[in-house]
Amino acid sequence: MRAPEATSTVDFAPRAIARLPPASPRQRGSVTWERRLLGWHSLLCYLFLYVPILILILYSFNRSKQTAGWDGFTLDWYGRLFANDLILRAVKNSLIVAVSATIFATIIGTMVALALARRSFRGKGATQSALYLPIIIPEIVIGAALVTFFGVIELRLSLWTVVLAHIAFCISYVAIVVRARLAGFDRSLEEAASDLGAGPLDTFRRVTLPIILPGIIAGALLVFTISIDDYVVSSFVAGVGATTLPIQIYSMLKVGVTPEVNAVSTLLLLLTVVLIAIAQRLQQDPTPSLSKGARKK
Amino acid sequence: MTTARFRTRALTALALPLALALTACGKKAEAPQAEDAAATKNAGKLNIYIWSAYLPKEVIDKFAAQTGIQVNFDTYDSNEALLEKLQSGVADYDLVVPSDYMVKILIAEKLIQPLDHGKLPNIANLDPRFLDKKFDPRNQYSLPYFWGTTGLGYNKQKLGTVDSWEAAFDPKNKGRILMLDDMREVFGAALKSMGKSLNETDPAVLKQAADKLKKQKRLVATYNSGDFANILAAGDVDVAHGYNGQIAEVVANAPDKLAYVVPKEGATLWMDNVCIPVKARNAENAYRFLNYIMEGPVNAEIVNGVSYASANVPARQLIRPEILNDISIYPPDEIIARCEFLEDIGDATTLLDQYWTEIKAQ
Repeated sequence: MRAPEATSTVDFAPRAIARLPPASPRQRGSVTWERRLLGWHSLLCYLFLYVPILILILYSFNRSKQTAGWDGFTLDWYGRLFANDLILRAVKNSLIVAVSATIFATIIGTMVALALARRSFRGKGATQSALYLPIIIPEIVIGAALVTFFGVIELRLSLWTVVLAHIAFCISYVAIVVRARLAGFDRSLEEAASDLGAGPLDTFRRVTLPIILPGIIAGALLVFTISIDDYVVSSFVAGVGATTLPIQIYSMLKVGVTPEVNAVSTLLLLLTVVLIAIAQRLQQDPTPSLSKGARKK
Repeated sequence: MTTARFRTRALTALALPLALALTACGKKAEAPQAEDAAATKNAGKLNIYIWSAYLPKEVIDKFAAQTGIQVNFDTYDSNEALLEKLQSGVADYDLVVPSDYMVKILIAEKLIQPLDHGKLPNIANLDPRFLDKKFDPRNQYSLPYFWGTTGLGYNKQKLGTVDSWEAAFDPKNKGRILMLDDMREVFGAALKSMGKSLNETDPAVLKQAADKLKKQKRLVATYNSGDFANILAAGDVDVAHGYNGQIAEVVANAPDKLAYVVPKEGATLWMDNVCIPVKARNAENAYRFLNYIMEGPVNAEIVNGVSYASANVPARQLIRPEILNDISIYPPDEIIARCEFLEDIGDATTLLDQYWTEIKAQ
């Protein structure tokens, strides 16, 4: 599991790299030393990012209980994992929290972004600045503040307080990502839609939403990953029966983390990769397909 | 129309997992509420907050089957996490297991309630050596659950038999020594090696201990409180200062190579204790459970399941011999007699802090 504070910066790096235009076809003799250096540099960066993950996956198949050395291949840890009620319950809790927080934070965050981009209202500046607070404020402060707040309103800690807490700090991330997408939005497309007789709802559903969808999906994926590996805030606001996976793993540290944890991390990684693959398929250039459709009309 | 179809398909593809997730969490949403409703109806619940790998599931299941009480349990990773949870005032835990020094804090903060010994006849089963400690005189608020020691794990293939703290101060082991990253424990090791008390407050003696530790610094590969057992198991160090539980774990995997010893000069004793929070909603169930786990056979099952030492006397007859005779779990009596609990040393803490900073910054 990644360290909680590393999330926001690391998550975008591979995506940003992926978006760079492909290098021009190599010509004989044009491979200068700078280019080679850049290549090595990129390789090292990727190794730095992915080798720990590969080792984690590898060690989920290690026969030895200790991470000290390689003892031979086994699938035992996966078997043990599926027999370990505590870890399974923690995974279930983490998924409930991450999925609920993602759904609600995405909806609310998108609405916030739209309001900020489209409307002018009193307190807009303040709202805008407040949006960055959950990202800037140290997680431990958010956690402490939330638990105090729940204490004051006498809300018993449970899994749902974790969901509420996650929604609270995830909204900002979605709103900021979606706002970035809205920044390049050509409003004449919406005007054209209403000129052609589409009502506000139709315009939103068939014009606005498809255009900002990649931003929404990016925001949703971002907060899903932030939520699923959040430890600090969750550990503050979790109540009875609300042990999430990161809390479970940290609490296992006292007796030593077993490769079961590697196994469960590998499975979660797989799930995340599948989700990202789906999201990227969905994102494949929706704008050109829209203009194609418009041209057909 | 192609665009429309693409869009519908895309939205369906997106919506499907979300919808599944929603139904999944909708189902889950009912469960806790149902539990809450049940709790107010028959109070048949017990929420335990405890260290990881401290309570075998079989024991909980048997208790639940016997009493009809529904037991939930969550785990924490530090005493401070427990403190924070109880301070929130909205955590519904009925039974918690803080370590010795945290018991003292929880009492001072009025977060745990006095125990009615009349409801706990099985207290008679407890070993008096582990009762009436300074952190909770007369066990008004807490009862011992597990105890253990802080000693040395070592590589016996390389060092032979180790029985003294001197192994951690021996220049021959230069660069192959790991010490806990914990001020009181490290000073405890130095003080014990000098034949002094862990809770020494004499500035002259503390100065000597600090000098000894400053000299030791050159020999120490790392100060580490989290991963010490794995570092020892990996062969990166030959001597590791650490808690018996984690070291026993790696020793069990490599019994020919590694060993754990409570040095003959004595060491730190630690103890985790069961307490009932002030805000417990099911205190009666907590009492029932407390008394239950102090029954000899039940307590033996707990010890056999998780390999920590308990303070229960009748349980000893039923504890597996390989656990009872393992001196890393149950050290011999004459060694226990030389071990001590860490106590509040008052103003001397400031002095230790200063020395510790000097040592670490050296």
